[in-house]
Amino acid sequence: MSTVTLAKKRRPPGLAAKQRKQALRTLAFMSPWLIGFAVFFAYPLISTVYFSFMHYDGFKPPTWVGTKNWTYVFKNYPYFWPAMRNTLWLVVVMVSLRVVFGLGVGLLITKIKTATGVFRTLFYLPYLAPPVAATMAFAFLLNPGTGPVNSLLEKVGIPAPGWFNDPTWSKPALTLLALWGIGDLMVIFMAALLDVPQEQYEAAELDGASAWQRFRYVTLPNISPIVMFAVVTGVIQTMQYYTQPLIAGKVASGVIQGAGTQFEPGYPEKSTLTLPQLVYNLGFQRFDYGSACVVALVLFALSMVFTAFLMRRRGGLNLAGD
Amino acid sequence: MPGTSRKTPITSRKAAVALAASASLALLTTACTGQSSSGASDDASKDVTINFWHAWSAASELSAVKSLVAGFEKAHPNIHVNVVGNMTDDKINQALRTGGGKSPDVISSFTTNNVGKFCSSGALVDLNPFFKKDGIDPETTFPKAMNEYTQFDGNRCTAPLLGDAYGLYYNKTEFKKAGITSPPKTWSEFEADAKKLTISKGDSYSQLGFMPNYHGWESTTEHLFAQFSPTYFDKSGKSALATDPAFKAGFTLQKKLVDELGGFKKLESYRSTLGDEWGDKHPFHTGQVAMQLDGEWRLGMATAANPKLDIGVAPLPVPDDQVAQYGKGYITGTITGIAANSKKQNAAWEFVKYITTDTDAVVGFSNAIHNVPSTLAALKSPKLKYDPRFKTFLDIASNQYSTTSPASINGGVYLTTIQNLGYDYESGKVKDLDSALKSTAKQIDTDIAQAK
Amino acid sequence: MAQVLDKPVELRAPVTPAERTARRKALMEWIAVHSLGVAAALFFTLPFVFVFLTSLMSDSQALSRDLIPHTWEWGNYKKVFDTPGFLTWWKNTLIYAGLGTVLTVVSSIPVAYALAKFRFRGRNLSLMLVISMMMLPPQVVIIPMYLFWAKQLDLSGTLWPLIIPMAFGDAFSIFLLRQFLMTIPNEYLDAAKVDGCGEFKTLVRVVLPMAKPGIAAVALFQFFYAWNDYFGPQIYASENPGAWTLSYGLESFKGAHHTDWNLTMAATVLVMAPVILVFFFAQKAFVEGVTLTGVKG
Repeated sequence: MSTVTLAKKRRPPGLAAKQRKQALRTLAFMSPWLIGFAVFFAYPLISTVYFSFMHYDGFKPPTWVGTKNWTYVFKNYPYFWPAMRNTLWLVVVMVSLRVVFGLGVGLLITKIKTATGVFRTLFYLPYLAPPVAATMAFAFLLNPGTGPVNSLLEKVGIPAPGWFNDPTWSKPALTLLALWGIGDLMVIFMAALLDVPQEQYEAAELDGASAWQRFRYVTLPNISPIVMFAVVTGVIQTMQYYTQPLIAGKVASGVIQGAGTQFEPGYPEKSTLTLPQLVYNLGFQRFDYGSACVVALVLFALSMVFTAFLMRRRGGLNLAGD
Repeated sequence: MPGTSRKTPITSRKAAVALAASASLALLTTACTGQSSSGASDDASKDVTINFWHAWSAASELSAVKSLVAGFEKAHPNIHVNVVGNMTDDKINQALRTGGGKSPDVISSFTTNNVGKFCSSGALVDLNPFFKKDGIDPETTFPKAMNEYTQFDGNRCTAPLLGDAYGLYYNKTEFKKAGITSPPKTWSEFEADAKKLTISKGDSYSQLGFMPNYHGWESTTEHLFAQFSPTYFDKSGKSALATDPAFKAGFTLQKKLVDELGGFKKLESYRSTLGDEWGDKHPFHTGQVAMQLDGEWRLGMATAANPKLDIGVAPLPVPDDQVAQYGKGYITGTITGIAANSKKQNAAWEFVKYITTDTDAVVGFSNAIHNVPSTLAALKSPKLKYDPRFKTFLDIASNQYSTTSPASINGGVYLTTIQNLGYDYESGKVKDLDSALKSTAKQIDTDIAQAK
Repeated sequence: MAQVLDKPVELRAPVTPAERTARRKALMEWIAVHSLGVAAALFFTLPFVFVFLTSLMSDSQALSRDLIPHTWEWGNYKKVFDTPGFLTWWKNTLIYAGLGTVLTVVSSIPVAYALAKFRFRGRNLSLMLVISMMMLPPQVVIIPMYLFWAKQLDLSGTLWPLIIPMAFGDAFSIFLLRQFLMTIPNEYLDAAKVDGCGEFKTLVRVVLPMAKPGIAAVALFQFFYAWNDYFGPQIYASENPGAWTLSYGLESFKGAHHTDWNLTMAATVLVMAPVILVFFFAQKAFVEGVTLTGVKG
C-alpha cells in the first residue's frame, strides 16, 4: 500500500512529458483529417443549418426568414415528395435486387470451374465504367425507337417498353443499369462465400441435406453479416444517387445543353428525381440557396440514420479494433 | 484519476474544437458580406479586354459571332473582346454571382424569361442610365414587344440582341397530296388539316400532320398558348392561369388534337423515333411531320438539310373567335446585358451599344444567323437579306398583336410549372382541368413568394 | 464408393448405377452453371459490344436499328479527338485524378495508422466520425462549400476546390487503410521500436513497405473516384470549359452532337477505355481493395 501511495505521490519524472509527447504525436498524425473534418465537414454543416433559415440568392446579402424555406420545401416545392417517393422505390426495389443479384452472381462465380478468371473479369468490368459513360450507353441501348434492345425485343415479338422515356419504366431501366454494374457486390459476396467453412458443407451433406437446404442452413447464416452490410451500404448509396438519373433524364428528354429552355428535372414526369438533384435544382438553377440547404439537411438526416444503423450492427466494421 | 496525463489530450482536443469554431465563425461572417463593389468608373478609351459569354453553339453561329465582334473591334481598337460560347443560363448565372477575373462582363442569353431574375437580383446593371448618357431612346429604337421582355419593374437590365418569331412551317408537297390549298388560319382549320395529313401505319405513322405533344421540341405550352393571347399575371402579380379562359381553351384544344391524332401513347412512341431538333434528320426535314410550329431559324436549317423540300411559311393559326388577329405570333429573342460585378462597365457598354443598336452590325448578324433583327431601323434596312418566306417572320415581329411571355422574379419557373401541368394533362394523368388550373396557379404564386 | 476411391489414379468408366447417376448429375450441374455463366457474361459484355459497334457506324446508320455497321468508320474516333476541348478534358481529368490520388494517399496514411495502432481517447469517436463522413452525400455541404470556394477564394471555374480537400485525407481511404493496417501484426512495430525507431520512422520504414497492397488499393479507388466524378466538376468547373473533365465533357459532347450517336458512342468508348485498361494491369489490387471494404478485414 505504501508503495502505491509512493507511486501516486512521486510519479516517474518522465511520465507526464511522455504522455504529452504521445498526445502531440497523435495530434500530428491525425492532423490532416482533423483539419479536413473541421473545414470540410463540421463548418459547412453548421453553415448549411444556418443558411436553411436565410433567404439568399447569391447577390443581395442573406436575410433571415425563419422557417419559410422549410415550409416551402415540405409543402410547396413540387419536386420534393416525388423525390422522396422515388428514393423509397429505389431503396425497396433497386437495393434488394442488387443484393439478390450480387449474391446470385457471386454464387455463380464460385461454381464456375472453367476459366473462372475470365468470367470474373467480364462480370466485374461494367462496374468500372464511368457513370456518365455507362448511363449514356444505356440511354442509347434502351432508346425506344432506335436502340438495339427494343429492336431485338420486337423481332422476338415481346412488347418493347419505353424505358427511359416512359415514367413507369424509367426506374426499372435505372435498376437494370445498376444491376449491370454489380461488380462490387459480386466480389464482396464471392469473398464471403469462399470464407464459409468447408466442413460445415460436408457435415450437412453427410446429414443428407439438399442443395437448397445447404444454402439455407449453412451458407446464409455464415454470410448474413455481409448481406446486412451490402443492404445498408446500398441504402446509403441510394441517398447519393445523382449522376445516373440526371444524365438519363437529360439524354432521354433530348434537352440540349445549348438551348435556352429551362431543364425539366426528373424526366419523364418526375420519375427519375432524387434528393441530391433537388439540391442542384434549388441551389444552382433557381438560386434559392436557403431551400437547397433544407433539402441538404433532409439528405443528411436520412444518411445519418442509416449510418448509425450500420455502426450499431458493426457488420464487418471491426470498430473495437485490435 | 485527476492528473496531467488526462488533461493533455482533452486540452488539445478542446483547443482543436475552439480553433475550428472560431474559424467557422470567421468564415461564416465573411461569407455573408456582399460582393465587392464595382461601378461604371472605368475609362472606356483605355486599352482593355472584356469577357463576352454567349449561348450559341453551332459552327455557323460561332463564326457569325466572330464577325460581329470583329466589326466592333475594328470600330474600337482599344477594346478587345474575349468570346466564350455554348454557355447556358445555369453557368452564366453561376458566374455572374461569383464574379472574379474569369467571369463575364457582357452576357447574352436565349431565355428572356430570366430577365426578371437578372433585374431583380441585381445580377445585371440597369442600362437606362447608359442609354440616356448616349442619347438613345429605347422606346423608339426597339420594337414594342422587345422592349417589354427586356425590362422588369422599371429596371431595364437587358437589351434585345436579335429576335425570334414563331410561325407555322408546312410541307407544300404533302399539302397538295392531301388536297389542302392554303395554310390554316383558325384552330378548327388547323385541326382538320392535321387530321387529313396524318397517315397511320400499323401501330405508328408513316406521316403525321402535326406533333402536338408538349415535348415536341417547340410545341410547348408557352408557344402554343401565345396564339390565344393569354394574360399570365393579373394586376396584383398573381397568376391568372385559372381566371383567364385563354389557358383553359389552349389546354382543352391541345388535348383534343392529341386524342384525335391517335392518342398520347401512340404519339409519344412516334416522337421518340424522330430525329433531334438541331440535327439534319429533324422530322420536318424528312417529311415525317407535315406541319411544324417553329422559330424563324428553322427555314435556314430546313433548306440546308433538304434542299428539295417545298417549304411553306405562314403565321400560326389563331383561335376561331380571334380570326381578326391572324398574323400574330409569339415573339422572344436573345437578350444581352452587363454584369453587375464587372469592373469594366463603360467598355462593356460600348460593346453592348454596338451589337444592339448599330444598324449595320445588327443587320449583318441577323443575315448570318437568320434571326429577326431587333431594331426598328434594321427591320427596314435594305441591306437585310432574306428568303421571301422569311418576311412572314418579320411581319409577325412587327405585328401589334404579337405576344411574349412576361418577366417574373424567379425567371422561367412559372413557365416550367405550366408546362408540367401540360405534360400531366395531355397524358391523361390529370383529368379535372379546372381544379388543376387552380392548384397550378397557386403553385406559381407560392414559388414567386418564395423567391422574394 | 470407398473401394473405387481407394484405387490409384487410373481412370475407368463408371460401372455402378449410382456412379453413373452421380456423374450425370455432375455433368448437368456443370452445363447448367456454365450456361448461366455464359448468359451472364453476355449480359455484362453485350452493352460494351453494341457501344463499340455503334461507334463505328456512319452518321445515318447510327440512327437506324442496325446492329452491325455496314462501313467501318474508324474516322469517328479521329473526329472525337479533334473535338475542341477533348484533349483538355483528358488533361484535366488526369491532373484531378493523379494529383488528387497522391495527396489523398499521403495525407490519409498517418491518420489511418493512428486509428489502427495508437490508443487514445477519442479514437472510437474519430473512427465513427470518419465513417460518417464516408457515408455523407456531397450535396449535403455543397452550398456553403461552393460559396466558400467561389466567393471567398475565387476558385470557381477550376478544379482546385476538388483537389485541395484531398490533401486533408479522404474518409473512405482512411477507413480502408485502417482496416488494412490493422492486419499488420504488432510484433513488427514493437521490433522497430526496440530498434529505436519513433512512431514516424516505424511507419515509414517498417509499415509502409508491408502496406503496399492496401495503399495500391486505396490509390486505385481514389483515382477512379476522381476519374468518374461528375457532380464535383459540374459544380466547380462548368463555368470554364478549360477546366472540364471527361465526365462533364462527355455530357456536353452529347449536347453539341445531338443525335450523332456514333460519335457520342465513340467518345464514350474513349472515356471508358482507360479505366478498363488500368484495371487489367491492377486486377489484384482492385479485388483486394473491394474485399477490404466488405469483409471482416
